[in-house]
Formats: sequence, structure tokens, C-alpha cells
Amino acid sequence: MRLLRLISWPYLRKHAVRSLLTVVGIVLGVAVFVAIHTANEAVFFAFERTVDRIAGAAQLQITSGETGFTEDVLERVQGIPEVQVAVPVIEAPAGTNLAGQGNILILGVDMTGDRSLRDYDLESGDEAIIDDPLVFLAQPDSIIITKEFADRNALTVGSRLTLSTMVGDRAFRVRGIMRSGGLTSAFGGNLAVMDIYAAQQVFGRGRRFDRIDLKLNEGVAVDAGRAGIQEALGVGFDVEAPASRGQQLESTLAVYAISMNVSSVFALFIGMFIIYNSFAIAVTQRRPEIGILRALGAPRRQIRNLFLIESAISGVLGSVAGIAVGMVMARAMVGSISSMLEGIYGVAERADEVLADPWLLTTAMAIGVTTSMIAAWLPARNASRVDPVQALQKGKYQVLTAGENRARRLGATVLMAVALIFLWIGRSIWFYAGYVSIVVAALLLVPTVSLWFARVLRPILKWLRPVEGALAADSLIQSPRRTSGAVAALMLSLGQVIGLGGVGRESYNSIVDWMNTTLNPDLFVAGSQNLSDRTFRFPKTLGPQISDVPGVAQVQTVRSLRVNVRGTPVMLVVIDTASFEERGRRQTVREAPGGMYTLTKAGRGVMVSDNFARLQKMDLGDTVDLATPAGMLSLPIVGILMDWSDQQGTVVLDRALYDRHWGDDTVNVFRVYVDHGSDPMDVRQRILERVGADQPRLLVLTNAEVRRWILQLTDQWLQLTYSQVFIAVLVAILGIVNTLTVSIIDRKRELGVLRAVGGFRRQIRQTVWMEAVAIGVVGLALGVLFGAANLYFLLEITGRDLSGMYLPYRFPAGIALALLPTILFAAFFSALWPAESAVRMSLVEALEYE
Amino acid sequence: MSSPGSKVQSPESRVQSPKSGVWIAAALLPILFASHGYAQSDARQIMAEAQRRSEAKSQRYEGLLQVLDGGGKVADKRWSFVRLGSHGSSKAVLRFLAPAEVKGVALLIVNHPDRASDQWMWTPALQRERRIALQDRSTRFFGTDFSFEDLEERDVDQYDYRLLGEQPIDGAACWRIESVPSKRKTSQYTRSEVWIRKDNYAFAQIESYVKAELVRRLTYSHFAQLQGIWTARRLEMSDLRRKSRTILTLEKLEYNVPLRDEDFTLQSLRNPL
Amino acid sequence: MIRLEHVSKHFEGRRRVTALEDINLEIPKGELVSIVGPSGSGKSTLLNLIGGLDRPTGGTITLDGQRLDGLTEDGLTAVRRDKLGFIFQFFNLLPSLSCLENVALPLHLRGWARKKIDARARELLALVKLSARLDHLPDELSGGERQRVAIARALSVYPPILLADEPTGNLDTQTGADILRLISDLHVTFGATILIVTHDMSVAETCQRMITIRDGKIVGNVRR
Repeated sequence: MRLLRLISWPYLRKHAVRSLLTVVGIVLGVAVFVAIHTANEAVFFAFERTVDRIAGAAQLQITSGETGFTEDVLERVQGIPEVQVAVPVIEAPAGTNLAGQGNILILGVDMTGDRSLRDYDLESGDEAIIDDPLVFLAQPDSIIITKEFADRNALTVGSRLTLSTMVGDRAFRVRGIMRSGGLTSAFGGNLAVMDIYAAQQVFGRGRRFDRIDLKLNEGVAVDAGRAGIQEALGVGFDVEAPASRGQQLESTLAVYAISMNVSSVFALFIGMFIIYNSFAIAVTQRRPEIGILRALGAPRRQIRNLFLIESAISGVLGSVAGIAVGMVMARAMVGSISSMLEGIYGVAERADEVLADPWLLTTAMAIGVTTSMIAAWLPARNASRVDPVQALQKGKYQVLTAGENRARRLGATVLMAVALIFLWIGRSIWFYAGYVSIVVAALLLVPTVSLWFARVLRPILKWLRPVEGALAADSLIQSPRRTSGAVAALMLSLGQVIGLGGVGRESYNSIVDWMNTTLNPDLFVAGSQNLSDRTFRFPKTLGPQISDVPGVAQVQTVRSLRVNVRGTPVMLVVIDTASFEERGRRQTVREAPGGMYTLTKAGRGVMVSDNFARLQKMDLGDTVDLATPAGMLSLPIVGILMDWSDQQGTVVLDRALYDRHWGDDTVNVFRVYVDHGSDPMDVRQRILERVGADQPRLLVLTNAEVRRWILQLTDQWLQLTYSQVFIAVLVAILGIVNTLTVSIIDRKRELGVLRAVGGFRRQIRQTVWMEAVAIGVVGLALGVLFGAANLYFLLEITGRDLSGMYLPYRFPAGIALALLPTILFAAFFSALWPAESAVRMSLVEALEYE
Repeated sequence: MSSPGSKVQSPESRVQSPKSGVWIAAALLPILFASHGYAQSDARQIMAEAQRRSEAKSQRYEGLLQVLDGGGKVADKRWSFVRLGSHGSSKAVLRFLAPAEVKGVALLIVNHPDRASDQWMWTPALQRERRIALQDRSTRFFGTDFSFEDLEERDVDQYDYRLLGEQPIDGAACWRIESVPSKRKTSQYTRSEVWIRKDNYAFAQIESYVKAELVRRLTYSHFAQLQGIWTARRLEMSDLRRKSRTILTLEKLEYNVPLRDEDFTLQSLRNPL
Repeated sequence: MIRLEHVSKHFEGRRRVTALEDINLEIPKGELVSIVGPSGSGKSTLLNLIGGLDRPTGGTITLDGQRLDGLTEDGLTAVRRDKLGFIFQFFNLLPSLSCLENVALPLHLRGWARKKIDARARELLALVKLSARLDHLPDELSGGERQRVAIARALSVYPPILLADEPTGNLDTQTGADILRLISDLHVTFGATILIVTHDMSVAETCQRMITIRDGKIVGNVRR
């Protein structure tokens, strides 16, 4: 401890800026880790609380996919002996048209009986919140809002509130306000209750319910009750405890979580190399000090511990800062994660409480400190091995021994071999083990390969600038250890940029391809700008009306809904098979001998998307079991086609079959082809005039608008790459600044000689700049190589576990090329300050010997 | 207790009683009888006579409903009521006349001799009816102190009776009879006590219990003999848990008016007379 | 050739240390001068000031008619590259560069044509009798050979002034004598003004003039 105060503290003070930069590595890694997990947890927590609040005292919920079920199911459920109370529910998001309020979830309930399940008012119980229940039921515009929502928007009992519903904007009258607590805390208060039968009308449910909430008789175990109800209702219904709704969220967020976790691991890895680099540097700079300590009799252990303790302390500081930054980031991220939840409820979750989970923070702290200490281990060991005599001399280079290099190369070779075996085995866990092995092997090879690259660079640099260039290259060649840290960090982050960029670009290209081949209707008639919003549906009868509009050549209906297949919520796409066969065919991967369209049309099979087949490991002839309200529908796969519309996969079913089994004749989107010679814009106008008059929610989108919308979604993928580029640049700057700082210390004498024999300051700067650029180039070269491998792995992960979409391997040369100037500039930028400090060094000091 | 509802609509139709919640209570009855001075058959005979005397082919009245909460009067509502048949096999339609916001809302009640009634509500603004599920019958009837169950009429045979003694109500001599639903789970109430006037066999008061707690009390007053039937023209229901009460005043009451079966269907609910 | 007028050098720290005090010195062209004195006497500081590696606290230094005060950092560098050659005690060769490259270093810095540089570097290495070691790295040479490379580098542009700081300090006696002889030969050959800082009297004795410094003052100035 005393050593720490005597030796470490003055050093830290002297190199405050750089010490801070070191800690930045840890801060970055820990912050990303904390942010991702905290934000996820906050959203999960808020979501679970919401589910809980909405479920009220319900022990079980009965659903049947997104279609809901007819009203008679309620009586069947109420007739089941185990059931004490069963109430129907409709859940529908509605736009509030209030600034900053977004959507509100409307809970349609049967106000005559629902109170036994839901606590609308914790304080006074019963229906006292409504002045007159009879008026509430008699007037379909009645609505009960939460106190939170009322306060936010200055609403009172009797106020009018306009909501966007399926039938257009509707004025509602606030006839009750729920006091705070319980149900009102769902969605941060963006929730309202109305009569279920009125809700059926304004949300286009017909005579259907979305859900039945129920309570079992006392003494009936939940599992037994569920089994009994399931048996009574048949396979088309899901009978689940409310909490299981969180599972849907999990699968929605799974893709996001995996990619963020990969990023977080990379951030930590990169952070580790920055720390390694910094400590290696600190050891170099303080070698004389260490030498003195050793000469004065400090044992090696003590020297090593000194550095390990330092690293632990910077680990703690970095982690604390990282946690703080992470919490801030989490708050920012919550919004974007929450918006993903809109897919489930149609209302953005308001995760107001971003709480620090002590366990998570402990883990983050442990990760930060461990990473820091692991990274400092080698430098600390080197410090302990400092020879007291040598250390007191100036200008000794860190030389990587041949033995060490051999060991590394051997390790790398073994790891590569192991990785290949793992990859050959191929199953998930082995695959990831192989991935990790390759990464580690690449890291082990960094010193050797960067040495090799530096040797290649030397003649080039020398040719450019005989003295400055050669010296810059020599600087790299002679101290691979000094350079390797920065190069390794650069390699990892650039590899990640290239990998993610490659996946992103390939996804983009594939989607564009897919759009070009299948997204060919001229117009789309939908209920929302957002085509994936499935809450708005039209009656099928609208189809003929649209067909009758002059200029319309053909109308196709699409009904898409999520259904559970083998526990995965996949997208069921219901089409008029015949018309799709004619127009709008998707690219076929393979099909059954009878012809997939023919068989699907005949109701003798389903077509599935390529990614569905891969994710479910199913092939032609395998049976897909679809639970329908009318019982289990089991059909063989008769065709596999390319379709990018859903990450979990799509199952394509014929309309007639769907109508029969689901008893649902609604349509999400009409695809409209116009006659040759008709202007789509004219036709669009006519559709709006003729059909849109009765359908206030009806929107007609042009092909171009839909494309733009899809590409906009796809762009979000690319955003991830951009943020990675930012990290890469940061890493480059951090690593290069560190490396150069040490380099100019190591080369103090050399630079002094250069000046003594007539080198101008410009020339000194140039050699430092060239060294920086050389590090950048080597890092870039390694990054490109590593990125090529990383891209392969990321594509595999995407195909295997994320979306089932196997994208072709194409190296993103464009991104790699764009990185060149970016990284070179970053390198140059990083070198500015070290170069200045190099020319400011005292010449006398640089040249003299003690 | 007869369902207050039955009283509500037709004071003469009495005789329903609460659901027993507890089987054991019924099982104990024989023992209790044995030790008691009155026979069970006496009580049943009194109830049967009360039902017989109130029988009419049909009934019509206009009701004025006043809810008196702890804080005072909340609202006046007015409805028209028609009933065809009597007791266990009757049908009734109740249609709100005022205030304006609820005008046209209607309730169709189809009573059954052997089980709980079926009830549907019609809301004109939505143009659709909804079933009032059995599980919801214990909830308050639209903010009044009556529950949906209290609107039912049930046949005398759906309950078991025991004469508890005699006790005057409002100065009129009454039998005090305990009534327990014979099938469990058909009523929210565990048991009721019914007071029948000795002079005219009219219901004077009903007290309903959930387990051992007295939850509702219905009292009958302003008796008059109309078309040979002794009828109370004012009913007061107290909800003892909420400490509020609802007063129903029957006006323009007539018995044996011409009504048709077709007037008591879901169809007729949609197209009022 | 070299003129110092009232030159002094103080080091400011917690305590003011005077390294040189009011030095006045004139060294004519072509003279071979030694500066002797004990450790800490200020002789190295004097050499650093003359070489433009450091700046005096007061007084003026004139080299070959050019005053050093008032020059920018790069101006000083320009003086060094045109008028001065340095020979150091520890040779200060760049370890990653071959003999040829080390010698060529100052020429490259002046941006000479590569061909010309190559010819000159070979010429210089021949002069110090190291033509056989052109492509060797400094680590592969003996101490004497390294110093000869350093001398060749100092001579690269045939500067009018050569400054040597303990040129034999790191060499055994025999090799030191060889190096001194080389320096004397070069003095004869090129007629350069040479200043040798040393604490070795045997070295000083080979010079035409011996200046003795003690405690920052010139205490002896003997021409023989």
C-alpha cells in the first residue's frame, strides 16, 4: 500500500490524461454491458408489471392467436366446472392525438362483471369510480382513464377525448377516472377501460373477443384448472398464466439481445486490449523506477502485485464510471427497446424506473476488475522480471523473445486446428466455441503478423521518406509488444465493423432483391402506414369494392398474424394462392412434386419461408401443426420459398382454408395491381374516393412508399454498423495515442539524435505521424483479414440462430475501403499530440546519459 | 329471502331465496326441525299460499328508482316493467325511460322453475344485447342497491323453509321464515329470512345473509289490494355493507294486462313496443 | 569561427544552479581545441550551447559569423545541419539502421538525391576504413567501429565545425587512441574546427589548445 502511494500515485498524477484514457477502455466495456442489461431489465420489469396489472386477479388467460374467438366461447368457458369467473377482454391500441402521448391501450371489458377480476380502484372498490354504471353502458363513448393520464392531459370526468380507432377518429367522454395504483400503473398510465361491446365496434372485432381472463374456483390448482379448460376448449386455444406473456417479449427481444451481447463482449475485449496496452506502456515508462525498487530489494512478487493492485483500482474506477455511464445509456436505450414492445401491445411501454440491479452491478464490477487485471497480468509479470541493471539504462527496447513468439504461433496453430474441429462438429455450442477459438488464435497471431506487415511496410515507407519512414517502420518492428496491443484492439473493432457491415449490407441487398421480385403490386391498401402493424383489419368484402374501381386489374388479399408453431411465434401469411401464383410469386427454394402453389391452393399443404425451414429444421414433407379455433390443422410443407418478412419465419396458407378454420374473414392489406396504361396515382385517388369514404382508416400506399418504408427499417440494421465504426475510431485513437506516447519515450534518444544531426521539427513530426499511420495500416490490414473471418461467423450466427436467413458471403469491400481514410485520419489525428510532445522534448536530456 | 328483485318487480311474487352457500347448513336442518316447535311443512305451506295469492297472468307498472347513497340522492331513474306469467315460469322486460342518457336500455329476464334465470341487456346505442352471465348476478344492478339476482323470480320449490317464529313488522303480525336455496351455487346468498304478513300473506320484509353476515334488507310498504292482490307499492332495499339504500316506487300498477309471449324475446327487446 | 561573449547558463529550479558564468571565448577557424574539467564543471553544457542543442541564459554565441540567439528551433537545426558535426560518447547510432544508413541520415534529412547520398556515405565510410561493414547494424560492430561510424556521420556534409563529447570515454585505451588519431587526421585533411570535451588529459594533450573549466568558469586557456 505504501508503495502504491509512493510509486503509483505520482505516476498517475503526472500522466493523468493518459491514465484516464486507459480507464476509458473499461468504462466503455462495462457501460455497454450495464446499459444493455439494465435497459432490458427495466423494460422487462415494466412489461411484466403491466402484464400483471392488466391481468389483475386473473389466474389464467385464454387466447387464440391474434384472431381472437367468437363470443360463444365465453359461455363454454363459464360452463366449465373449475371456472369461478371468466370475463372477456378486448385489447386495442388507439392513437391519442395528444402531443407526446403516443398510443393508449384500450382495455375493453364487460363492465357488468369484470370488477371481480380487476382492481379498478384500490381505495373504494366496486364501481364507485363511475357515477352511473347504467349511463356508462348505455353510452358507447364512455371511457375510464387513469389518474396519471388524466393529470398529464388535464382531463376530468366529463372531458372529451378523441382517439384514433378502426373506424377513424372518435370522440370519447371520460366517465370515470381510476385512482392511482394497480391497473393504472400499466404502460405508465396510458391505459383506458371501456365497455367491451362498444370496443368491439370501434376496433372492428365483430362479435369476437381477444381474450378471456378467468379465476378458478377455490381449491382448484392452476395446473389442473388449465388442463381441464384446455381439454374442454381444444387445441385452438392457448390457456396460460398471464406471466407467460413475457415469453413473447423474450423472443421478440432475443435477436436484439444476441447482437447486443456480441457487441458488449467485443467492447470488453477491446477494452481489455486498451488496458493491456496502457499497462505495458506504464511498465515501460516506469522501468527505471522499477529497477530502483528492485535494486533496493523489492521482491518480484511485490512489483507484480503493485501493478495488479493498480489495475484492480483502475478496474474499480473504470467500472464505477462505466456503471454510471451505462445507467445513463440505459435510459436512452429504454426508449428504443420499449418501442419494440409496441409490436406486442401496440402501446409503447413507459419504463420510468430504470433501476440498478445489485446483482448486475456486482457482475459488471467483477467483469471490469477482472478484465482489467487479466489485461494487466502480462505487463505486471514483465515488470516483475525487469532486470535492475538494464532498467537503469536508457533506451532499451522491449524485445519479444523468439521463444515467446514461437509459443504464441504454436498456440494459435493449435487453436485454429481446434476451431476447425469445432466448426466441423458444427452444432451450436461447438460452433460458438470455434468462433471464440478463432478470435483467440487471431489475437495470438497479432504480434507475428503485425511484425510481418511492418516489414512489408518498411521499404514503402522508406521510399516515401528515407529517414522518417524507415525509422517509423523500425519502431514497429523493434517493439512488437508495444504495438500489438493497439493493433489487436484495432483488429477486433475493425473486424467487427466489417463483419456487421457485411451482414448489414448483405441483408440490405437481399431485401432489395426480394422487394424487386415479389413486391410488385402498384398499390397497397392498408390500415396503417406501418405495414407490419396488424391491429387494423378490413372486412374481406372490401376486396370486390376495390376491384370495381376503374383501373384496378387485380386485388390480392393478405391476412397476416402471429401463430405459435412449436412454441415459436411465427408469421402466418394467408393469401389467395391462385392469384399469387399468377402475380407475386416468391423465389422458390424447392417444392414438392405436385407443385407448391397447386397443393397449397387445394388446401393440401403449406408453403414456408426458407428461414422458417432452417430455424425449425424442417423440410418438404414435414408436418406443420397449426392450432386453430376449430382444432388442430396439420399440413405438410409442400414448398419452401424466399421470404424476408419475418425473422421468426413465415408459413403461407391458403385463404379458403384459413377462413374455414379460423372463422375470420378480415384482411390486413390488399395488394392492388392496376391496368396497363392506368396511372397508379389516379387509381389511388379513385380508391380513396370510392372505397375510402366508408373506411376512415383506409390508406393507399404506392409501391415506392412501401419500398421506402421497408428500406427505412433495414437502415436501422446499418445504424448498428455506424455505431461500431464510431467505437472503432475511438479504439484506434485511444490505442494509437497510447502506443505513440510510449514509442516517443522509447525513442527519445533516437529522436534526439535525429534533431541533433539536422532534422527539422517537421521531420520529427513526420516520423511520429508515419508510425501512427503505419499502426493504423497494420491494424486495418489485420482488421480486414479478421473481418473476413468474422463476417463468416456473423453470417452463420444470423443464419443459425437469429433469423434463419443464410446470406451469401460477399466481402464488403466498400466498407473496408471507406475505413481506410477513416482510420488513417484517426491515426494521424491521434499522432498530433504525441508528435508535438516529441518535438518539445529537451534535446540535451534526450542525448545525455546519466 | 325472496329475491328482492322479484319483489322489486312484483311484490306479490315472492318466494325466492338466496342460494345456499353452504351445504352443511342444509344437512343440519332435520336436526334443527326436530328440536323446533314448528314443522318444516308449515313454513312451506305458508310460502306456497303466499305465492298462490300473488299469482297473476301478467303485470305492468312504472317504477321510480331512487338511489340514496351515503352522501344523498344520486339519481332518479324511471322504468317501465311488464311481466308475463308468474313466479318460476315468468318472463319480464324492464325498460328504462329516464334519464335521457339511459333511455331505451332494456333488460329481459326469463325465469325458470328449476334454475336461475336467463338475463339479457339491450343497449340501443350499440344496437346489441349482452347476456348477463350467471357469475355476474351478484353484482349491483346498474348502481342501485339491488343485484341482478334480486331481479329474478324463483319458484317456491327452489328453496327449503323453516318457520322460525312470529314477529310483527310495522305493527302487522308476520311469520318469520328461514329460506335456504335447495341447490347450492344458485344464489349469492347463503340464506334469507322472510316475513309474511299473517293477515294477507303478503311479503313484509326479507333479510339476506352471506354466510353469517346480513348483507341486504328489503322492506315492503304502502300496501293496497289491487285487482284482488295485496301489493306493496313501495320497496326499499338497503345494502348494509355499502350503507346505501334504493327506493322503488311502483306506479300505474295493473295486473292481468294483455301481453303476448312474443313480447318477451330478444327480438322484441330490439324492437320495443 | 566560434565566438562566445559573456555567455552564462543557469538552471532554474527550486534553487538556481549556475552552470556557466560569463564565458568569453574565441576559437579561430581550423583550430583543434580540447575542453577539460572535472565532472559537473560545465564543459558539456558549454559544448551543448555551442552545438545549439541548448540555449544560453545570457550572452551571445556566434558560429561562422552567425549569431545563434534569436534563431528559432528550426533555425538552430539549420545551423546544426550546415555547420556542425556531432560525435557522442555513446555513439548515438540508430540501432535499426545499417552503417550506411546511419551515415546517410543527415544527408537524407537535407533531402539530397539518393544517388549522391549513397556515393557520399560510401566515401565517408571508406574514409573511416569501414568499407567492409556497410550493411552491418551497429550492434554487430565493436565500440571503436561504432565510433568511427559516428564520426563518418558527423562528417557527412563536411561541416566546418566538429563537436566531440568524450569521444573516447566509452572505449578502451587502445581504441581511444585510434579514434583520436583518426580525428587528428581528419583535422589535418579537412581543416575543420574541432572541439573535444574530455576529462582525459591524454586526449587533451593531443590538441593544439586546451581550455580548462572549473565551476562554470574558464580557469585555463593554453595554446601550445
